[in-house]
Amino acid sequence: MRRTGRGVAALAVVVPLLLTGVAACGSGSGTGDGDVTITFVWWGSDGRANLTKKAVELFQQKNPKIKVQTSFSAYAAYWEKLATQTAGGKPPDVLNVDTRYLAEYGGRGVLADLNQGAGKAVSLADVNPELAATGVYQGKRYAVPWAQNTPAMIYDPAAFTAAGADPAEGLTWQQYADATRKVSAASGFSARGTTDFGILDTTLEIWLRQQGKQFYTPAGKLGFAADDLRRYWQLASGFRDAKGASPADVTASYNTSPEQAPLGKKLTSSEFAYDNLLPAYQKANGKPLKVAPYPSDKAGDTGQYRRPSMFLAVSARSAQQEAAAKLVDFLVNDAEVGKIVGTDRGLAPNLKVRAQLAGSATGNDKTLYDFEAALEPKLGAAPPVPPKGAGAIQKLLQRTYEEVAFGRMSIDDAVNRFMTEAEKGLS
Amino acid sequence: MTTVRTPDPPLAPATVRPRRRDRPGRRRKSQPEAFAFLTPWLLGAVALTVGPMVVSLYLSFTDYDMFTAPDWVGFGNFTHMFTDDDRYLQSVKVTLIYVLVSVPLKLTVSLLVAMLLNTRRGANGFYRAAFYAPSLLGASVAAALVWRALFMGGGPVNEALAFFGWHTPSWVDDPQFSLASIVLLGVWQFGAPMVIFLAGLKQIPAELHEAAAIDGAGALRRFRHITLPMLSPVIFFNLVMEAIHAFQAFTPAFVIGGGRGGPADADLFYTLYLFEVGFQDFRMGYASAMAWVLLVVIAIVTAIVFRTAKLWVFYDDAEGMGERR
Repeated sequence: MRRTGRGVAALAVVVPLLLTGVAACGSGSGTGDGDVTITFVWWGSDGRANLTKKAVELFQQKNPKIKVQTSFSAYAAYWEKLATQTAGGKPPDVLNVDTRYLAEYGGRGVLADLNQGAGKAVSLADVNPELAATGVYQGKRYAVPWAQNTPAMIYDPAAFTAAGADPAEGLTWQQYADATRKVSAASGFSARGTTDFGILDTTLEIWLRQQGKQFYTPAGKLGFAADDLRRYWQLASGFRDAKGASPADVTASYNTSPEQAPLGKKLTSSEFAYDNLLPAYQKANGKPLKVAPYPSDKAGDTGQYRRPSMFLAVSARSAQQEAAAKLVDFLVNDAEVGKIVGTDRGLAPNLKVRAQLAGSATGNDKTLYDFEAALEPKLGAAPPVPPKGAGAIQKLLQRTYEEVAFGRMSIDDAVNRFMTEAEKGLS
Repeated sequence: MTTVRTPDPPLAPATVRPRRRDRPGRRRKSQPEAFAFLTPWLLGAVALTVGPMVVSLYLSFTDYDMFTAPDWVGFGNFTHMFTDDDRYLQSVKVTLIYVLVSVPLKLTVSLLVAMLLNTRRGANGFYRAAFYAPSLLGASVAAALVWRALFMGGGPVNEALAFFGWHTPSWVDDPQFSLASIVLLGVWQFGAPMVIFLAGLKQIPAELHEAAAIDGAGALRRFRHITLPMLSPVIFFNLVMEAIHAFQAFTPAFVIGGGRGGPADADLFYTLYLFEVGFQDFRMGYASAMAWVLLVVIAIVTAIVFRTAKLWVFYDDAEGMGERR
């Protein structure tokens, strides 16, 4: 019968792959004189795909003996596909990794240590050392940052100016609360001042950093206590109760892609995200949006940091590590590539390339270069690599806060549930 | 045990059928050819179904993250499921509600529509096709996406209800309504059981209804005492198929629930949680254990339905109405 359990069906796909994959593993690893083919996968949208393909074409022109097969998917689907491919013993040669999954893949021996062997061909000489360090987990360099971004607020300047606030100047949380309430009222409460940030793990992280705490300790445990989370959720709920932040059903529709986020759908006038997403938000929302630092009660300390927006990594099982490392080095350090991909993923990781591009940048590219240049002295080091299970913690935070937003659970109960389940998940 | 058969057309006179004692000989003779023809299927079944099932049974007793070798944990996965995993219990609850609400609703709607269409009026062909079309879409992502667009905040359903003064939140994003919107999608795709009901209705001899009508039985009485009993084998078949189907619902919940079980886990279907555990959280051993529990539960539910069938399924021995063994 075809309708056996879906999980069984899924395994039916995975297991044969596994069996054939294990056999294929032992086969040759030479990169002789002949042409080699490597596979390269990343996540993103069509627009990003066009830019990335152009960069790959340039690489092939300069390295005629290496053929690169590319494919991409949306963020969530990317991880499901990658897990299956990896389990099947046929991981891509070059792949994108997110900081939330670096420990998952690196710690389980799926990624090659780029400090060893062929990986040494990847030069990080011109990359900010603090940014470069984000790809190191338990002493091994599993990945190199392909771009730098920073968590930031994206907002509609017209709406906030009308409410008498200028987020670009840096607001306190109280000023931000007042402004969002006014923005909501000005729209007759149809578009709220901000997207309820109680569900966002990045925003919680930045807020914790403003309190001198961290989300995860270097040992991979939670870096905050129940009381911290309670105060954070009280802050967020204050925005919602005052109708400054989105109502529960709008918050629940939040999806990481700007097109499907409340700000992208014009249901709110500001949202916490990453600065490099500004053009995507603008396109979805239709208004000339701007990017601003996080609100903070300590002048000059917004808690923001240099974040590796996306890593490049080489599979430990790749038979073509030399060619793979060559591609990674090219994408990170080539000036032409920097020009082609622009700020789609964030700023160029290579500081020389970045300086060169900053001079000639226009439009949104210029906005982002200027924004991060102004912030640069205030940006802190990125937090330690999140532990295995960080992806699940993000979803846990969203889920438990939704219980609060829909009024199905008190903040205290939700905090207890989060702490218990998070500690279970991280043990 | 009783088996359900689609009504046989009166093929050949019974005397032509091989007598029981002839059968073993015939079987032996046709063996080599039969196996030759079966080979491709056998290979597929062993490599793609039996093999993986054996492996997944093994994995269900292990802790397996897909990248490193599985660790034997015995019944650990199974005890964790029932004693220490609130989300598992939530997924069981959501799935049971879905099965208990959507299956009876779907069967009722499909029977009613089948009876409406069981006449010889001109436009019926069109309506049959039109009502069947949604179930051709089956578990498609497109149908679920359309459903999400229909029932989301500011969507047509929302606006229409607001027009009549009933202000609802976004159906698909509110834990109070989101499961209901998925039940509605399931019920809307009633075409497959409807077509089977239609076939069953055609098999009911018109004389029975005529005779009852002459005796003074009204429409409701005839429905209760003729249509329902005569249709009971078909109802039984549809019930079993739809229940199995409902236990395994995945795509609508995946798409409508935003790929994460919906707001506050309101759409966390069993298969969805299984998928999440296996492919997003890298706990393939636990996912395998969940799959086996689901298989066993479906088997038990099906067995119970089969057992109770004796009480309410009526097999007529008249020509062409199935057979009793």
